Amino acid sequence: MFPYLEVLVFLPAIAGVLLFFFPSEFPARYYRRLGLSLSLAELVVAVVMLLKFKTGVAGYQMTSSYRWIPSFGISWSLGVDGISLFLVILSVVLFPIAIFGSKETRDPKSFIAWMLVLEAACVGSFLVTDLFDFFLMFELTLIPTYFLMANWGFSLGGRAAVKFFVYTFLGSAFLLVGILALVFIHEASTGQLTFSISALAHTQMSSTAGRLLFLAFSVAFLIKAPVFPFHTWSPDAYSQSPISTAIVLGGVMAKLGTYGILRFDFQLFPQASRSLGWLILTLAVVGIGYGAITAAGESHLSRLVAYSSLSHMGFIVLGLFAFTTIGLSGAVLQMFNHGIYTAALFLLLGMIYSRRNTLDTSKLAGLQSKAPVMAGIFTVVMLASIGVPGLNGFIGEFMILLGAFVSHRWWAVVGVSGVILSAIYMLWAYQKVFHRKDPEQRGFKDLSVAEVATLVPLVILIVGVGLFPSLLLNRINPSVHKVLSEATPASSYQSSLGKVGR
Amino acid sequence: MAQYLPVLVMAVLATLFAAGSFVASAIFAPKRPTKAKGAPYECGIVPRNAAAERFPVRFYLVAMIFIVFDIEIVFLYPWAADFRQLAAFGFAEVVVFAVIVFASFVYLIGNGALNWGPQKRVEPQVDLDVSNEDSLGSSSSGVRAA
Amino acid sequence: MNLVATVLSGAPIQFPSISYSSILPEVVFVGAAVLSMLLVAVLGQRDQTYGYTGLGVAAALFGGIWSYHLSQNVNARGAYAVVGGSLAVDGFSTFFMILTSVGVLITLLLAEAYLYKVSHRGPEFVALTLLSATGAMLMESAYDLLVLFIGLEILSISLYVMVSYTTSRRVSKESAFKYFILGGFASALFLYGLALVYGSTGSTNLGNIAAFLSKNTLTSNGVLLAGMVLILGGLGFKVAVVPFQFWTPDVYQGAPTSVTGFMSGVVKAAGFAALLRVFYFAFNTLRADWQPVLEIVAILTLLVGAVLAVVQSDAKRTLAYSSINHAGFILLGLYVASAASIGDSLYYLFAYTVMSSGTFGAISMIAHLEGRTEGTLSLADLRGIGRKYPKIALTLAILLLAQAGAPFTIGFLAKFSVLSSVVEAHHYVIAVIAMVSVVIAAVLYLRVTLSMYTPLTKDAEIDRVSTDPEISLGAVAVRVDEDTDLKVDAKVPVAAGLAMGLSVAMTVGFGLYASPLVQFASKAFLLR
Repeated sequence: MFPYLEVLVFLPAIAGVLLFFFPSEFPARYYRRLGLSLSLAELVVAVVMLLKFKTGVAGYQMTSSYRWIPSFGISWSLGVDGISLFLVILSVVLFPIAIFGSKETRDPKSFIAWMLVLEAACVGSFLVTDLFDFFLMFELTLIPTYFLMANWGFSLGGRAAVKFFVYTFLGSAFLLVGILALVFIHEASTGQLTFSISALAHTQMSSTAGRLLFLAFSVAFLIKAPVFPFHTWSPDAYSQSPISTAIVLGGVMAKLGTYGILRFDFQLFPQASRSLGWLILTLAVVGIGYGAITAAGESHLSRLVAYSSLSHMGFIVLGLFAFTTIGLSGAVLQMFNHGIYTAALFLLLGMIYSRRNTLDTSKLAGLQSKAPVMAGIFTVVMLASIGVPGLNGFIGEFMILLGAFVSHRWWAVVGVSGVILSAIYMLWAYQKVFHRKDPEQRGFKDLSVAEVATLVPLVILIVGVGLFPSLLLNRINPSVHKVLSEATPASSYQSSLGKVGR
Repeated sequence: MAQYLPVLVMAVLATLFAAGSFVASAIFAPKRPTKAKGAPYECGIVPRNAAAERFPVRFYLVAMIFIVFDIEIVFLYPWAADFRQLAAFGFAEVVVFAVIVFASFVYLIGNGALNWGPQKRVEPQVDLDVSNEDSLGSSSSGVRAA
Repeated sequence: MNLVATVLSGAPIQFPSISYSSILPEVVFVGAAVLSMLLVAVLGQRDQTYGYTGLGVAAALFGGIWSYHLSQNVNARGAYAVVGGSLAVDGFSTFFMILTSVGVLITLLLAEAYLYKVSHRGPEFVALTLLSATGAMLMESAYDLLVLFIGLEILSISLYVMVSYTTSRRVSKESAFKYFILGGFASALFLYGLALVYGSTGSTNLGNIAAFLSKNTLTSNGVLLAGMVLILGGLGFKVAVVPFQFWTPDVYQGAPTSVTGFMSGVVKAAGFAALLRVFYFAFNTLRADWQPVLEIVAILTLLVGAVLAVVQSDAKRTLAYSSINHAGFILLGLYVASAASIGDSLYYLFAYTVMSSGTFGAISMIAHLEGRTEGTLSLADLRGIGRKYPKIALTLAILLLAQAGAPFTIGFLAKFSVLSSVVEAHHYVIAVIAMVSVVIAAVLYLRVTLSMYTPLTKDAEIDRVSTDPEISLGAVAVRVDEDTDLKVDAKVPVAAGLAMGLSVAMTVGFGLYASPLVQFASKAFLLR
């Protein structure tokens, strides 16, 4: 069989690394074309992989494994299941768009090379099935992001990059210690030294150990997502990154956090996840409210999106810790959706910035009459983000709230407020930027064909997923169901089965 | 860690003693300096010039080379005393030792370490900072990077 | 006593068997050193240094290959002691001898590039490096405290000369003098500790000490503990752990850069080899006494190294402090003191030697291409070299990222393996502290790497730099002429290119194809 997953990880990795050794004399467009064609090739491979993916199978598919460092029990293992499938698709969709939409003219070779390395790291993080490999890939995302942010970002990119790096790496410190502790606990009880996720999923440990490990893992993932109160790096990082990096950061890398919670916290520490779920739920709900309120008071559009992202990531975490199939499926679906519309939002912001050199709502006005196409697309994306029925944001949020309401009523009730607030701050910002009268009557060019072409795939996905979510849910559900059944004690499992609506 | 407590106590005591001595001598010692007392060689003869004089650095070099061979001889004595008991093995070891010392002698001669007298320089020295260094290499190589 | 009686009686003396094949690397190193001195004396040819370097490189290659051969022997037949039980031939010593040979190889290749031209004393440098490495090998295989001390002195005395090699520079003289005074002090500490240990155990042989300590319990072991602490101090100086690290930044900065690479690799490895063997093997039964001390020392070393590295402005001082941070990691392996953790320390040492010698090599290349005397290359000078010298910059970037612990490099695996031992021994807090120090140090490496690729142009970049203290690295953001950003046709000498290529190849190669080295390090057992 064709090694789809290997190609998905190694194609951009090898291409990116080789690109560093290329001469840098050629015009920027050559490097961009090269990067674009490579990431499109990646997209094609991923789509074929999606078509080959068998629906109704819960476990990993297309698995492969190579014993890498046997004395440490490390192997290089790849596999894809319903949880990671659409996150991989999300990554390979967003990267070509980010590269195509990028405007970087300085040192284009390194820029493309870092983007390709970052793509490999992101896709790799979702595809590996060995904890060591995951940590490796999880860490590997930091380095390209740091350089992209610091070297091609806005004026304070360097500072934002350091902040981002220190925060996430500190989280990883706990993650690494947690991983090692888990592995050695597993070795002590079974005599087998392994980092394989499926083997470690059934580790016997005391409930205190489980809780501590759960917390060590969660810190890393909550920082990455980010979830309140670990979010303070994100507004800086989102607003100082170049647009292409912001797309990846908000669209793909934030999902690493929630993916980590679902994949590792739930599968490795089911009991602790349940007993400490209230803590994370509370943080998530606080984040939903806090993010939405702060976004409403934010005048810088990138920071507004950052805070709205905080709010939306809170929804995803709410769905995860609801511990119902519908909530979990909704969360996985929402990860995909959030990635799509956040990316579209950042692209649009980048287009506004390239015309006006500012993203301050107080300095932008009256764009609607000057740029009706942009206003139209912006409206669709914004409505998706608010969660209007018929668009993709609605399905996810609805399922999450439904799932959470069944099991954690009061958290869900507070969470609903986020939906309302998001309508407020989004419409408010839209009104200011697009409909307010511009006193100076400056010109504003509407979107070019290329820009529309960048946005159209995302709009199609926004509408398509909104109308036909079952295409995704069919593939997501079995894996989610498996995670849930393994994470649920036998007695309460029966009752939660009855609540599976679909 | 309790067993390291005495070390700590000792360290504190030593510090206190040292500091205390300085303080005590500063406070209690009688100070009646005179010119004669302050002079070096307080033994009746009035010094005429500074005691420290500059020897040519070559002098020390030769002295050190001498010491190296002196030490070699010192090592040879015990070997000579027990020559028979040490037998072939001892002989071989001493030969190795002597060869290595001899090699260093060849190196020294080859680099002009025993050339007494003023050094001939092909090129005047420019870098002031280098002026008084490097008595081994420069005489044979002659030209140095200015 | 026996020997004196035998001599007096006139009977033939029983000599210990030497087993020359087991000490062949040392013999070859000394032989090559003497040969190069003789050649320069007889031929008087100084300017063509390729021959001398070739001789040294051949000796290093032979030492490495023969040590590997010895290690295969040890694997097949078990470890043994030679020269009357004063030198051990075991997996541990052969591992270190290979490491030393690699270090010598890289050092000589780097020195060939420019140091000889500056100093006009190439042949002597080869001889000194080989002699110093011989001392390192003696320390690594010493099974007797006295032999260890002799090794330490052979290593140190050659090194004092190497540090002061470019005597025309005041900073080099100063650093050599500092190193000499403090090094002599450390040797004295070690010797005094040795005497106390001998006094309380009755032997200088490590095997005998270990046997004595496991059989007897001293009712009052103050003298022994004092001796142990003094030995720790003496060796701790050589490997630069806190609180014996004060000389490191000055000396690393002042020494010629290839010598700095040698010090951070070979010398550090030798010191750690001695520390590991003495503490983990000879003083094993006293671990309740030395573990708490090492715990504090290791934590301080990790944090002081990382924190002070961040605030430096000189490239070599920065690397000096970061080497202190690395030493903390290696020390953690000893602190945990399990068979696996010792192997992890060895792996880390190998990784660090490879990475740091390449890093210093790249730094010295840049300093020379920029026309600076050594030791004055500030981090601000590194700005923009990514465009000027793309190849060297890429090398340096890879090595710095590897030192930071970037995935898929030897640096990541090294940190990972040491941390895994620490966690396995349930020292979770220390593991977290170590990781925090990695975070701090990583910020530094990333910044330096970033600044190499930050262009020096007149436009917006300068404003950006000046408003951003994070990237400007504490140095003043200089407004620079346009032509600094032009690409310079940098000629890297073949030998230096070879050395840096070797270093990068090992850094990345063993990071990807990790198993052989991991296996090798984990099998490097000590002779019991």
